[in-house]
Amino acid sequence: LLGATCQSPPGKPKLTSCRSPEKETFSCWWEPGSDGGLPTNYSLYYRKENSEIVYECPDYHTSGKNSCFFSKNDTSIWVNYNITVVATNSLGSNFSDSVDVDVMYIVQPHTPENVSVVLEGTEDNPFLLVTWEPPHKADTRSGWITLVYQLRVKLEKDDKWEEHFAGQQKQFNIFSLHSGEVYMVKVRCKPDHGFWSEWSTTRYVRVPDYISREMSSWIL
Amino acid sequence: LLCSSLRCHAVGLSDLLDRASQLSDKLHALSTSLTSDLDTHFPTMGRIMMPHPSTCHTSSLQTPNDKDQVLSVPESELLSLIRSLLLSWNDPLLLLALEAPTLAHPSNSAIYSKTKELQDNTHSLSAGLEHLTHKIGSSNSFTPLPFKGGNLGQDNTSRLIYFHFLLSCFRRDSHKIDSFLKVLRCRAAKLRPETC
Repeated sequence: LLGATCQSPPGKPKLTSCRSPEKETFSCWWEPGSDGGLPTNYSLYYRKENSEIVYECPDYHTSGKNSCFFSKNDTSIWVNYNITVVATNSLGSNFSDSVDVDVMYIVQPHTPENVSVVLEGTEDNPFLLVTWEPPHKADTRSGWITLVYQLRVKLEKDDKWEEHFAGQQKQFNIFSLHSGEVYMVKVRCKPDHGFWSEWSTTRYVRVPDYISREMSSWIL
Repeated sequence: LLCSSLRCHAVGLSDLLDRASQLSDKLHALSTSLTSDLDTHFPTMGRIMMPHPSTCHTSSLQTPNDKDQVLSVPESELLSLIRSLLLSWNDPLLLLALEAPTLAHPSNSAIYSKTKELQDNTHSLSAGLEHLTHKIGSSNSFTPLPFKGGNLGQDNTSRLIYFHFLLSCFRRDSHKIDSFLKVLRCRAAKLRPETC
């Protein structure tokens, strides 16, 4: 009973971000406030522009802890969602500030997939051919989402990444290679109006030691 | 005459749609940049007082609002929707360009030049879409929505808020236009699948 004096209604939760990976579904995440030392429940409620009906979050699981996932059926674009999180324990409730969200402004795709780097060309003129695919959830085929790509390239021994913009292309050639060196390459994508994805995991490729072989034959 | 007429027609169409979607992309990017210009000096209470997006003059136009809906609309209908939306902005954009130079905002000259650019790009896009409509031989069944707000308001703050409100409506509509056009572009780009 001594501990009971520390117990209180929950603190104010805070909606931290909402993201849509493909303009077809979206998720929102929140940070809980203090739980007041008691088991606390969180619920997310939303109301769509032009409607008075308040809905509860359809799916608290798919996007992880403290999140709400809006499936295709629950997602419209060019419509404001007014979203609020409510924290409740046995002593009371607390509301987050409500947030207005339109899916068109929160698009951030997943990273490009199947990124591959291979050495092409001849010994005189070798180049790296980098290829990738759009994230599989993004429907670029129909034009519903348009992605542009950026590459980062660096020599393993160097510190600085060099950046290249690939536009809508899904491949890129890198010339003027240093022979005998290891290159690191990664790719990310951005919708025409939206946020950059995370970088893909780094691919490594070694360029054979052309010059020293050339040099040694020349010295001989 | 080196190619069959159908093929030439298709290439012409996809080039036109390519150019149109470059313009619509620009329109949306410009409206986004204008919004962030305005946001640098915007009264806090303006956000509370700003009218709701459902009161935009174009909000009564029924448009699809998810992928499946958009993809199921026939080309000619989608094109009519785009033209209706675009034409509905002639008068309000004129008003914005008239008011921008005297807006109570430190960047009003930059805001003015971008607003003019919006207007010019909107006209070019309209002209391009008219050409496109003839080319695909669809009917001219589009209806611009009437815009009743003849001026922005009396005092500096309400003018700024109403300017911002109109711009946020345009920003949403330009995103719709751009999305619809890019879907049309991909439907026409069967011969050049690398763009989609």
